[in-house]
Amino acid sequence: MMNLSLLRQFSRLALRPPSRIPIRIRNITTTPAVQFKTTDQLCAEPMKKKKKIDPQIVKAREERRRKKLEKQIRRLEKNARQLKPIDELEVPLDLLDNFGKRKRPQPKLTAEVIEARALLQKDWARYKREEYISNVAQIDRIMAAQRRALDKLLEESEDLYNEAIMPDLQLIPYEIKGPVATPPIKSYESPDGEYIDVSKKWDN
Amino acid sequence: MLCRTIIQSEITLCHRIFARGLGTRSSWDIVTGVCVERLPVVTPPLNDIQKKYKDLLYTLEIEKSMKSAHEIRHENDKVQAELLKNESAEVDMDAVSKITAQDMEDAANEELAQFQFASIETDADKKGDQSTTERCLQRHLVLVTPIKLGSDVKTLLPQGLWKEGETLRQTAERVVQEQCGPELKVQFISNAPCGFYKYKYPSEINGKVGAKVFFYYANYKSGKLTKTKGNWLNRSELEKLLPEKYRKSVNEFLIEETY
Repeated sequence: MMNLSLLRQFSRLALRPPSRIPIRIRNITTTPAVQFKTTDQLCAEPMKKKKKIDPQIVKAREERRRKKLEKQIRRLEKNARQLKPIDELEVPLDLLDNFGKRKRPQPKLTAEVIEARALLQKDWARYKREEYISNVAQIDRIMAAQRRALDKLLEESEDLYNEAIMPDLQLIPYEIKGPVATPPIKSYESPDGEYIDVSKKWDN
Repeated sequence: MLCRTIIQSEITLCHRIFARGLGTRSSWDIVTGVCVERLPVVTPPLNDIQKKYKDLLYTLEIEKSMKSAHEIRHENDKVQAELLKNESAEVDMDAVSKITAQDMEDAANEELAQFQFASIETDADKKGDQSTTERCLQRHLVLVTPIKLGSDVKTLLPQGLWKEGETLRQTAERVVQEQCGPELKVQFISNAPCGFYKYKYPSEINGKVGAKVFFYYANYKSGKLTKTKGNWLNRSELEKLLPEKYRKSVNEFLIEETY
């Protein structure tokens, strides 16, 4: 194999391509002969004109580029530590300052009021439980009605049943509005008002 | 567990074969009924306990809250007014002459009082008109239309015969289109029927004993009925109108109203 590659190196000098030269070398290989052929190397490229630049300018240019990069790196390092604050999560300083001033005097609750409130909480818990139970019962009833309808449909026709139990893809995405607290006023145009955008810009 | 599922599937298979064996050609008409329901537009009124609990929550919220900027300003205004009354020398005239918090509150209250909320009782409610969806805003409304059954006409949920080659869902959509006109837009909630009702014809028609009605449930989106004159009824009106057995089947899959 070694001899062959050497031969290819000198193929440019040869009058005939090397493949045609009968090679009488006994090669001992474990793999079957591979019929790959390498392309001839050119070993040269067309000449380019070289511009002559003042070395001072080149140096200055280099310097500028380096400085620019350094500045960018510095800025990145600085920003890596500093996270973008979320305004809504930060308590404004003026609120923290007069925190005491904003405290509401706690009302003095009488024993009766406390008792009444506790009773109401318990009543409410009971009421919600009943509501929950009735909701579950309703859902059960509606599901049972559907099950019954589907069973009857299966009795009637299996094809229709199979169609009926297919998922309804039109439902996705599902959108539902309301109910609302007061009925909508027809042809009411809501006053938009004016606003000033005070959100800060956080670009680097 | 495995055994049980196998047995169950066997049973259903047997059942199916048995049902097939009874009659190769069904002797029942398949009919699709559509329950078009307009959901409440406005929240239902609160009952006693809900009102009480809401009030409690409101008072608790105020008790636990901090004073707002408006309240602080109001207190400052009071102090300034007191100073002005006593003709104290420390009065900051700039602070006094501006609009007080009380003034702002009054102005806001006045604006609120002037604003006219739409009434829950609509024109249709006053006239007793049942043919529009603009009525009983706090309730569920179900569409009923006159249906010709044999020789007499009954007011039922819109329904129509199933035709060979379409699914029941397609029948339901066609029924709404045919009986209510193309303007009425509804959204079907499922491919599956939600309820079932069966009735016998007085005498056999084309070899059919009766009809099996499969109800489909849909929600009203927009538009009006253009073809037939239908009515939008709330639960109690439905109760009065529909025949008893039919009503029972319909009530099976409708949500109960709690007030």
